[in-house]
Amino acid sequence: MRLKVKLSLFNLLSKLVFTVIFLLLMPFIIERINLSQVDNDLINKREQVITLISEIGIEPFITSDSSNAFGSYNILKEEFISLERITPGEELNYIDVTSRLIEGEEIDYRILNYSLEVDGQTYLLEVGKSLQSIVHTGRNIRQVMLVFLTFIIIITFIADFQYTRILLKPMDEIENKLKRISDPSFFDMSPVKTTTSDFVRLDSALRELMSHINLLFQKEKEITVNISHELLTPVSVLRSKLENILLRRDLDPEVEVKIEESLKTLHRLQSLINSLLLIARIESRQYLREDTFSLNELLMEIAAEINPVAEDAGVLIRKELNDDHQLRKFNRSLIYSMFYNIVNNAVKNTPPGGDVLIKSVRQQKGIIVVISDTGIGLTEGQKKNLFLRFKMRNEDSREGTGIGLAIAKTVADFHNLEVTVSSEPGRGTKFSFSFPEIS
Amino acid sequence: MNVLIVEDEKSLATEIAEFLKTENFLCDLAFTGIEASEKIAINLYDFILLDLGLPDYDGLDLIREARKTNSEASFIIITARGAVEDKVRGLDLGADDYLAKPFALIELLSRINAVARRKFNIANTDVLLDDFNMEVQSRRLVCKGNEVDLTKKEYDLLQYLVLNRGKVLTRQQLYEHIWGNILDDQYDSNFIDVHIKNLRKKLNAHAPAPWLETVRGVGYRISSQE
Repeated sequence: MRLKVKLSLFNLLSKLVFTVIFLLLMPFIIERINLSQVDNDLINKREQVITLISEIGIEPFITSDSSNAFGSYNILKEEFISLERITPGEELNYIDVTSRLIEGEEIDYRILNYSLEVDGQTYLLEVGKSLQSIVHTGRNIRQVMLVFLTFIIIITFIADFQYTRILLKPMDEIENKLKRISDPSFFDMSPVKTTTSDFVRLDSALRELMSHINLLFQKEKEITVNISHELLTPVSVLRSKLENILLRRDLDPEVEVKIEESLKTLHRLQSLINSLLLIARIESRQYLREDTFSLNELLMEIAAEINPVAEDAGVLIRKELNDDHQLRKFNRSLIYSMFYNIVNNAVKNTPPGGDVLIKSVRQQKGIIVVISDTGIGLTEGQKKNLFLRFKMRNEDSREGTGIGLAIAKTVADFHNLEVTVSSEPGRGTKFSFSFPEIS
Repeated sequence: MNVLIVEDEKSLATEIAEFLKTENFLCDLAFTGIEASEKIAINLYDFILLDLGLPDYDGLDLIREARKTNSEASFIIITARGAVEDKVRGLDLGADDYLAKPFALIELLSRINAVARRKFNIANTDVLLDDFNMEVQSRRLVCKGNEVDLTKKEYDLLQYLVLNRGKVLTRQQLYEHIWGNILDDQYDSNFIDVHIKNLRKKLNAHAPAPWLETVRGVGYRISSQE
């Protein structure tokens, strides 16, 4: 799960938990608040009544003989006050909830009971307030809160999500920077724009690492190039010496053959060094990509080039060049080398009577060039090592150093071409190169 | 013709000199850039074989110097660096050709001869091989009035052998000349054999061509004129 989703979900969840707890606790809180409010009211009323009695006496409420109780309530029966004469006893001063039947209607009241003594008589003062209104208020407040909190949760969730998204954008950028490249040397060294110091640190650590890796790669490639140069000079000396000997006219034919064999071995060394040099140069991007040419013309040229040898070996080269494509910003001689190696390899690995097919066809991905043969095929193990240097050196000592396919792969990588190989032992091998169409 | 060989690898320089002397060139050697610079200032050379990887001098500076002193010398660059930019820069500065180490001595000779022909406007003369006449100018091989239908590769092979008449050319030398000093694994001696085989077939269809000899275990040769 993405970090921004996780963060937003956690936020949402914690808000929901708090809201639920709050909503569950709210009735009690509201009741508490309301009751204390009501109790305060009742106490105030009591004080008013006491003040009133001390000012005007008890007579206006209770005459000494006619009745011994007084009661008054407002028309909606929300509040009442009653005063009655009681036998003296212990002092009363408490608040409780009692049901009262008033005009045939039973109503819950919060009632303050208070005993007071006036002119030697003891009276019980009751001040009551209906709880009906409190219940209503509580319900209303709860509904309002529910709507309000839901609204708040939705709004804050959206805001959180958007903010986290913006906050984590540099993370996506860093990720994309890494994903886009196939080689550390392509890493975009421009810093990611952000004010979050964590990302700044991550980004700069990555950039540091990448430039370090690049430096090491560069060094390694330079070493390969330098070693190759150093090796080529002695090879050159040896070669000239042997060639000079071969030019003598008084040579024994046996010596002549031996020298030619030495030259051949030397040539193998030379082409090996040159191959390594070529790969190192491609990998350190010493080649330019600025040619424009027709893919099919190139393939025809290669087919024509290899055809005499194929004919001699009894292998038929077939061409199905259906869809042409102008390659732009490619290195023609490298692409030539790549296909040449593949086709030449296919011809070599096909027994007489077999054939090699060169096909170009347009598909959704772009132009696909397929080179397939009816040759000996590859085992799974061979397929795995196919593009590794020196791994494909065959036991039968055909010329070549087993590096041709490694070169082809390097060239393909250099041009960002996708190469796929499928093969069945005994049935043949198929190489596909896909050229994305950008026009 | 006078040739100055500028090469810090002494044994390579002497081998080149030995070879060119048998081809009737007068050779002078310089093992350092300073030595070369002095010799270029004093002597007149027709050719300067220049190794770009001198320890004390940027070889390309020598070309600049020589051009300043109005030297008529033609430069052929020989280098193990072989980087594309070096090649382009060298040719831009007026070098006449470029050879990557290691090269075949025969190839060096044919490059020198090619430059010389251009420089001195030597017309290519036809070459007679028994019944066959090689018309070098028009790149045709004619036998008793009929043109032999050769592919470009077959013609190039034959011409290279003819140019080096009397010398045995190895398959590798032939391959390098025709396919260039290909940088990878493509060398296959079988290529040359196949092309020679096809070439012989075509020649024999017109007239016998015993002059195209196979030297067992070594390579091919066109026999020298009696």
